[in-house]
Amino acid sequence: MLDVISPSDPLTLKSQLPAYIRARGHLTARLQDSGRGTRVFDLSEAGGYRLKFPHADQCEAMIVNTGGGMAGGDHLALSLSLGPKAVAVCSTQSAEKIYRAERDRAEIIATLTLEDTAELAWLPQETILFDGAQLHRQLRVDMVASATFMACETVVFGRSAMGETVHKAQLTDHWDIRRNGKLVFAERLRMAGDIQALLDRRTIGAGARAITTLVYVAPDAEARLEETRTLLAPDDSAPVEWGASAWNGLLCIRAVSTDASALRRQTARFLNRFRQRPLPRVWQC
Amino acid sequence: MINPATLPLLVWLSPSFPVGAFAFSHGLEWAVEAGDIHDADSAGQWLSDLLQYGSGYSDCCSVALAWQAATDVDGDRLRALAELTCAMQPSSERRLEATMQGQAFMLAAHSAWLRPAMETLKPALADGVTYPVALGLVAASHAIPLEQTVSGFALSFISNLVSALVRLGPLGQTDGQRVIAALLPLIGTISHEATAAGLADLGSCAFRSDIASMRHETQYTRLFRS
Repeated sequence: MLDVISPSDPLTLKSQLPAYIRARGHLTARLQDSGRGTRVFDLSEAGGYRLKFPHADQCEAMIVNTGGGMAGGDHLALSLSLGPKAVAVCSTQSAEKIYRAERDRAEIIATLTLEDTAELAWLPQETILFDGAQLHRQLRVDMVASATFMACETVVFGRSAMGETVHKAQLTDHWDIRRNGKLVFAERLRMAGDIQALLDRRTIGAGARAITTLVYVAPDAEARLEETRTLLAPDDSAPVEWGASAWNGLLCIRAVSTDASALRRQTARFLNRFRQRPLPRVWQC
Repeated sequence: MINPATLPLLVWLSPSFPVGAFAFSHGLEWAVEAGDIHDADSAGQWLSDLLQYGSGYSDCCSVALAWQAATDVDGDRLRALAELTCAMQPSSERRLEATMQGQAFMLAAHSAWLRPAMETLKPALADGVTYPVALGLVAASHAIPLEQTVSGFALSFISNLVSALVRLGPLGQTDGQRVIAALLPLIGTISHEATAAGLADLGSCAFRSDIASMRHETQYTRLFRS
């Protein structure tokens, strides 16, 4: 039996570390078109986070958290800027686990900048909230109208396959996407308290244990709504429930599911077909 | 007796004020189609969730924040709030619902209920305004007390959705009134909380309500525009 976390579990110990040794991670990179593909410039890494580029042929930025998960008080600030014509996909090496917080919340602040005709797909693996987790996340995007930006984020509330439940946690997720300086999409997700009881309510999740939000901002965003719905339609009877809409030069998909792995499979399948280019390898298993 | 200074609020929130509220169901038409709302109980729970965890709560905060910005005649704060509340709409139809009513409300208020502060703050709404922000602005310009403005808004939000449900079928007239009566204490609590809210308090987690408004776009027969 692997589903019982004992008091000596390293995860529990990690959350009890005093504040002065909490991680403060920093990642900054500039991605530019070199004439022979997109290359990374001015990479800076600090505090247990690394940005790896595992492929020579395409610009795939892989965030690595060498600390393995985040506890209360941990902080990551990430900033990526893409120059004109730069094309990149950014993912994470593993699912980000957010452990129980004693006092302070964990924070992830990502700032993404896209210049003329740059293309960025922000496709981290899922974030897993453990019981007692407190997470504040901010995604700030500044793009020009000719750029193409996609963000897809999944939050899993407890690893239900291992019998874990989340009865007390706090999550705020703020996205601000600006196009030519104007705010075009803002996400303000706030959940606090008995998360499982919230997710059981029909207005919220009807028993869901995982949620996905996908936003695509691009010159062709609205024109791809029909296609998006067609791509998602075959899975309508699955434990995944989704909706898609497009307005104001952007397309948005929301999905909830009682089954986190079904949601991941469907999300991967959708991304493969919609983007028509290979997903980062970490997504394929 | 109702404070005479508050009477204009009753006019603006009445179904006959020309904002076109009757045309919008906030995704309820899909929730009924999908079977999520099928009787007074499920209707009451859905609406109570919206008030506590969804757009109802967030919109109450927006009314309060707009009221405060307008009372301070702070155009920059009002502009930022108008921009944020427009960008927070979760679907094409909910955006239409929020901005079309906001625009209609400002138009009617400027024609018949104009105050100097509304004139001064008009440029802040040049890029669009949502209904809660428009209401907060106009109420503040008429010196209507904050908490009354917010609770009046919350009640009209609920009444309008109950009226939509009555037209959609799952509720009779009497059941509809019972649902409203049962939600009154919650309306009071949430409105009171919202008067103390800051910008960081805006937000929601009513995912399936958002999904319902998206699914409504492709619903086969529809009475409502959202």
